[in-house]
Amino acid sequence: MPTSTSQISEHSTRLSMQSANMLLKKIVRSSVIPFAAQHGMKKDLFPLSRTLSLSLGLKQDNSCSPEGKLDLDAWKKVMKSGFQEEVSETVSEHKELSTLAAAREIIDMWRLAGRSVPENISEEQLKTFVECPSKSAQKKYLKFLHLKELYRKNDKRKMDEKRERRLEAKEHDRKADETKKNSFICLWTSGMDRAYSWRVAQSMIFGQPLVFDMSYEKDMSFRETTNTVRQLVFSEACNRRSVDPFHIHFCNFKDDSLYHKEFIKHYREAWSKLLVTVTDQCYTELFPKDKLVYLTADSPKVMKTFDHDKIYIVGSMVDKSIKTGVSLARAKRLGLETAALPLEKYLLWNTGAKNLTLDQMMHILLTLKDTGDWRKALEFVPKRKFHGFVSKPVHELKKTLNIINTIKIGKRQEELQKQFMKNYSKKLRQK
Amino acid sequence: AKVQPPEKPLQDEEWNRLKEDFQSPKIFEEVMLNSMVRCNSPIDVAKSLLTHVAKSSGDISYSLLLKYLSLCVQQGQTSEIHDVYDIMKIRFKVLESGAYNLLIRGLSDSEQWKMALTLLEEVKKTMIPSRINYESCIKAASRHQEMELAFELYHEMLAKDLVPTLDVLQAFFDFSRGMEGAELQKELFGILLRLRNNQIYPHKTFMESIKLWFESIPGGNWRGHLTNIKDSGQCPVCNHQLEDIELTEEEYNNLREKLISDVIHGTDPFRKTSPQEFEAFQTFVEKRLPFNIVIDGLNVSHTNPRKMQCQNLLDAVNCLAKENARLLVLGRKHMLANSSNWKRKIMKEMQSKADFFFAENISEDDAFLLYATLQSGKHCKFVTRDFLRDHKACLSDSLTRHLFRKWQRGHQIVFSSSVEGKHIHFSPALCYDCVVQTTGDTWHIPYKDTFEEKYSYQVPRKWLCIQQK
Repeated sequence: MPTSTSQISEHSTRLSMQSANMLLKKIVRSSVIPFAAQHGMKKDLFPLSRTLSLSLGLKQDNSCSPEGKLDLDAWKKVMKSGFQEEVSETVSEHKELSTLAAAREIIDMWRLAGRSVPENISEEQLKTFVECPSKSAQKKYLKFLHLKELYRKNDKRKMDEKRERRLEAKEHDRKADETKKNSFICLWTSGMDRAYSWRVAQSMIFGQPLVFDMSYEKDMSFRETTNTVRQLVFSEACNRRSVDPFHIHFCNFKDDSLYHKEFIKHYREAWSKLLVTVTDQCYTELFPKDKLVYLTADSPKVMKTFDHDKIYIVGSMVDKSIKTGVSLARAKRLGLETAALPLEKYLLWNTGAKNLTLDQMMHILLTLKDTGDWRKALEFVPKRKFHGFVSKPVHELKKTLNIINTIKIGKRQEELQKQFMKNYSKKLRQK
Repeated sequence: AKVQPPEKPLQDEEWNRLKEDFQSPKIFEEVMLNSMVRCNSPIDVAKSLLTHVAKSSGDISYSLLLKYLSLCVQQGQTSEIHDVYDIMKIRFKVLESGAYNLLIRGLSDSEQWKMALTLLEEVKKTMIPSRINYESCIKAASRHQEMELAFELYHEMLAKDLVPTLDVLQAFFDFSRGMEGAELQKELFGILLRLRNNQIYPHKTFMESIKLWFESIPGGNWRGHLTNIKDSGQCPVCNHQLEDIELTEEEYNNLREKLISDVIHGTDPFRKTSPQEFEAFQTFVEKRLPFNIVIDGLNVSHTNPRKMQCQNLLDAVNCLAKENARLLVLGRKHMLANSSNWKRKIMKEMQSKADFFFAENISEDDAFLLYATLQSGKHCKFVTRDFLRDHKACLSDSLTRHLFRKWQRGHQIVFSSSVEGKHIHFSPALCYDCVVQTTGDTWHIPYKDTFEEKYSYQVPRKWLCIQQK
């Protein structure tokens, strides 16, 4: 294999070489290649011409073909010229590459090859990448980062556009109406916040408890745990905004657990002011056992109605891999009552697992608490997972049947009337 | 977006025109080269496109070079592959796996196959080569009769936990045909033992390669015959009795312990049962040991959907109870509640013929099935149509998983109902082990027809018998 490096590194005056090459690059790029290749300059210009001339020789008949003017190997000359000086630099660097730097270079190359890899990757992410146990794990991780980057970019673009539009609107407003007056001081968000806080504070004294069991950290991977906390943050937010919030308990919560760290990442200083009860105690220590109901999709018992005197427990777990029966086992061990949502009863299931995300659970439970209406509550099950509400409860089916019947009867009467009118008018005309 | 590649190399202006007509000019070159690869266009057409790109932008992107490279590899254009490699080396500090895959594949098929080995070394500096990389190099080496080198690479890839494809293994047999050497024979026997240890069944063409190799060993006097093994486990060709399927005492105990710890208890004993229930079951089993057949009651009760579930179970129990066998039927508590499918009268009748254990409705009865069978001893069989895949998956190491499969083959009675649904047919478990096996002067190798579909509990019926005269 002929390498260019030894030949080039012999040149002592690299600086002048470089500038000369830059010049050459310009010449070559401005499409004088055929000219250069046909003249004797070749040897001096292209130190790599050994292999080049070989393949040129092989393709000799090409130049005699009707497309004779077309030098099919011209692109090789372009590619080989002008980059020589870079080679001598890179080779010396190449040897002292650490694994991390090597990984970064490989990822760069994958990007050039058109694979889904992120454009920017931090040291920490790079380390995670190197520590991935298999090639497919590496691929998945890079794709994850790539998508994350895309979403972030998209969000930023949208934000920028929005800001621009707002600025324009402001400008427009100022010109249009400078004397516009408003009797309300614009304090919407903080006012709302205060109102919400007041309600949640009340629920902490009088509200129905809702327990999140935080004892699943060892059953989850890092990403599953971060997803869990994200869902918990959503749940808390949706609880805060509801008319009649739950009193949220985070039970079995260990300080300095991954859960804790992730919460602080999300809430920052607000974490300590959050209107929820956080405790390392188990729910069995806080509440009487006969009041507790563990909600789990694996439960053999199906929930019929929402009981305002019970304390429902939701396992704070995201399982991306299949871990059937983990939360059911926990409830069994403690001898607690279990229940599953009546998904089968109300929904014609389509695809997907019956386990729902924590924020979906929160929406469903809040709706149940406020209305007791399963149909309304189960609207929060993702639409892709079911075909529709088909098997309605019996009393509701009866109601619809009644409605259909009355409509039918009404139509019949209308028809009779029409018929009568027709005949009547006929009779009139006949007369 | 699809385009038809031109048949002849084009001039710049012509490319420009094509590009203008194309709906998204930014990706024109990419799409065009892709379709060239798909249509296997003449290489000159691709070159003219590259020349056009080089002239107009002064550079050719890495992804375009890759696509061109794959076209070259597809057509075996060795000198072009070299040129592209040179260019890539000049332009980029390192290359990624996609390029190396193409380069190694392309060069290993050519006269300069040794270059592929150099590239393999280069790959090793930055990453673990893929098994396909090794496959190309090993095939190239063995094609040129450098068997020593091929085996060196083979052991290297095994050391890296890469699983060789059957293709590679077959190549060893194909290219060693007629060669002498004790060392070579030892290596090839090693491959056969690998098939044995991993319970791999070669397909028909692979089997033929093995047969031809054996028959070609100079002075070996090996002869191969294709045959079907009798149910008794005797080979009709050489009258040799195949290996017994029974596990050794040690293997059996190992399997039992692993099953209890991994499958029944797992990470949490409450997941499949509860400690109280399992303890109750244990004492129940200890008192009544040993059983001859353990039946998965719920599984058997679904044999014939037109019959009542308890009737199905009764039929099965009657059928199996004939030879004075001690039966254990596992079920769940709901079977005791007098329902339309589970009549109390019939349940009573069955309970006089067999022992019954009813687990909680939310417990998994399969785990009990495995435990009771293993606890009863080696003679005990079990009846279920379940493949037991999820239980195998619970086992922590591959060795135990292989033991489990072997035990399953030897102890599972699979049943099916006849067309009219009047009889249940039980197909007995195998009494011989279905793996590659040898006695020194004979080899017996089970194989499957290439496109035969096979469930994990099924084993091939066809065998290659090789004996030394």
